[in-house]
Amino acid sequence: MIETLSALAHGFGVALQPMNLLWGVVGVTLGTAIGVLPGVGPALTVAMLLPLTAKLDATGALIMFAGIYYGAMYGGSTTTILLNTPGESASIATALEGNKMAKRGRAGPALATSAIGSFVAGTLATILLTLLAPVVVEVALAFGPAEYFALMVFAFVTVAAVLGASMVRGLAMLFLGLLFGLVGIDEQTGQMRFAFGVPELMDGIDVVVLAVGLFAVGEALYVAAYQSRVVETLEKMSGSVWMSREDWKRSWPAWLRATAIGFPFGTIPAGGAEIPTFLSYATEKKLSRHPEEFGHGAIEGVAGPEAANNAASAGVLVPLLTLGIPTSATAAILLAAFQNYGLQPGPLLFQSQAALVWGLIASLYVGNVLLLVLNLPLIGLWVKVLAIPRPLLYAGILVFATLGAFSLHQSVVDLATLYVFGLLGFVMRRWGFPVAPAVIGLILGPLAESQFRRALSISQGDPSVFLTHPISATLLGLTVLLVVVPWLYKVVRERRALARERGRA
Amino acid sequence: MSLGVLALGIGASVVAFRLPEAGGYAGIGPNFMPKVVAAGLIVLGLWLLTELATGGWRERVPDDAVERGEHAFSWPAFAWVSAGLFAQMALIHSAGFVIAAVALFICVARGFGSTRPLRDAGVGVVLALGVFMFFVKLLNVGLPAGWLAPLTGAAGL
Repeated sequence: MIETLSALAHGFGVALQPMNLLWGVVGVTLGTAIGVLPGVGPALTVAMLLPLTAKLDATGALIMFAGIYYGAMYGGSTTTILLNTPGESASIATALEGNKMAKRGRAGPALATSAIGSFVAGTLATILLTLLAPVVVEVALAFGPAEYFALMVFAFVTVAAVLGASMVRGLAMLFLGLLFGLVGIDEQTGQMRFAFGVPELMDGIDVVVLAVGLFAVGEALYVAAYQSRVVETLEKMSGSVWMSREDWKRSWPAWLRATAIGFPFGTIPAGGAEIPTFLSYATEKKLSRHPEEFGHGAIEGVAGPEAANNAASAGVLVPLLTLGIPTSATAAILLAAFQNYGLQPGPLLFQSQAALVWGLIASLYVGNVLLLVLNLPLIGLWVKVLAIPRPLLYAGILVFATLGAFSLHQSVVDLATLYVFGLLGFVMRRWGFPVAPAVIGLILGPLAESQFRRALSISQGDPSVFLTHPISATLLGLTVLLVVVPWLYKVVRERRALARERGRA
Repeated sequence: MSLGVLALGIGASVVAFRLPEAGGYAGIGPNFMPKVVAAGLIVLGLWLLTELATGGWRERVPDDAVERGEHAFSWPAFAWVSAGLFAQMALIHSAGFVIAAVALFICVARGFGSTRPLRDAGVGVVLALGVFMFFVKLLNVGLPAGWLAPLTGAAGL
């Protein structure tokens, strides 16, 4: 405990250095500005802004990224409330009440409760992260390759199969991501795989190109082809930005409950913030003294999901920092940011790069404060961003998207790859395939493969190693249960329904 | 889509089986994971096909376009956005980042139904120049200046 506090104090020393503070401000501002654009979720924001940090030192870059991560999350909620177009699934719950509030002329308090709620939940969740991370690190130090492999398989399956709308779709996209992850030089033998003699493919497919292609180019092609003639309505910012005493009274408990729901969900590999936001919404609806307002703009319905979203986002950083396991698309891109600097998040990073890790955690506290200080006064500006005509908006998004991909290696091949992924993203969007498993598969696949082969090397090729280690066996067992139980449940239910119909006939 | 997944799986297995074994201590080599992934893609492709055949897709994606919040597929819109991206690929090394980005900007705006190419060009120029200066000056990330090199050079960039 004392050790944690002194490490954190040291971290604040790093985060509050003037240059690092500046990068934090730049990150929060850019993250919010890009995140507020309709159709741009946090994952895409982080991916597009990743190349910006190419020339920064690792600490500065990661502090900027922490700012972008939180800023993008906050910017997304503004769009959701005023435009009713959730940029990501975790914002859908906010849209339910937030947009209704805006329609009733209460956009100001809706934005304020989401900003202050994000701050409260973000800060509480960061405190929990500070306390929990060293504990997980202690446990994780005992992990060998077999345990890591099992953990990664577990993360794959929860993210791809259990949480999405359809197991087969999630798994198909996961395997697509794994296939992309195989492209390039095999780390252990130097063998070239799936590169087809194209030198640009030897280094593998960059996660920025995949994520930006699927999210930005795919989305732009889809919206242009299928929705560019649909008219959107932007709610006006009217009335006071400030919350009344009544608003405060109704928001506080919602923020706290949402933090308690959001953080634990973020820490387990359960696909990030989507489930806790809906859970929080349902909880608030049940506990509210004004249930009749739900569906017409109840402030608890904004305060809860927004806070849950932020708490879960901080929770996601626990497995990312302590184990190196990304559990959301955004976290996968953050992992890529670490890898750009040759850093592999995990228990060892807490020892070898203590200043960097704790500086990053401290900058999360700082980022939360910056977000509140910057955004309450700037709400009016972000609202103006939303009034940009759509042709100019998407043209601008694509300029940034291609810039991000191009500046990686100054290569047209990256732009061509970007377009191919854009076509893929278009098809996925049109026929309802999830994007996150593909991104996570690409980034986590090569890590899982190397842990798998390392484990087998140690055991001299004996595959039973995954089942004789208790932690690994438990995780793999859980994974199998996660896939089989829902399937069995479905089969049994269909059989019963069939039997009942036969009985009737 | 399901056919695509299946085709990728078959293609991947062809490549996977041509990779050398070279197992070493682990007993498995660089060809093991590709085989697993290829097999997975084939199975999932077939699974998707059966879902398609039994009508399982309709549960997820309604057949009715209006229900999905869409209008009919617009070829011109799709083509304009694509054209913008290709124009940028063709121009970025010769004409430079700014001109390529403006070309992309105008085409994409046109694809989204803009009828004011001059306004789009104006906004595009301001945006592209701003980004160019931000990257080159502040972030030290080089971008090709292309045909504008004399101009940007004179401006001290």
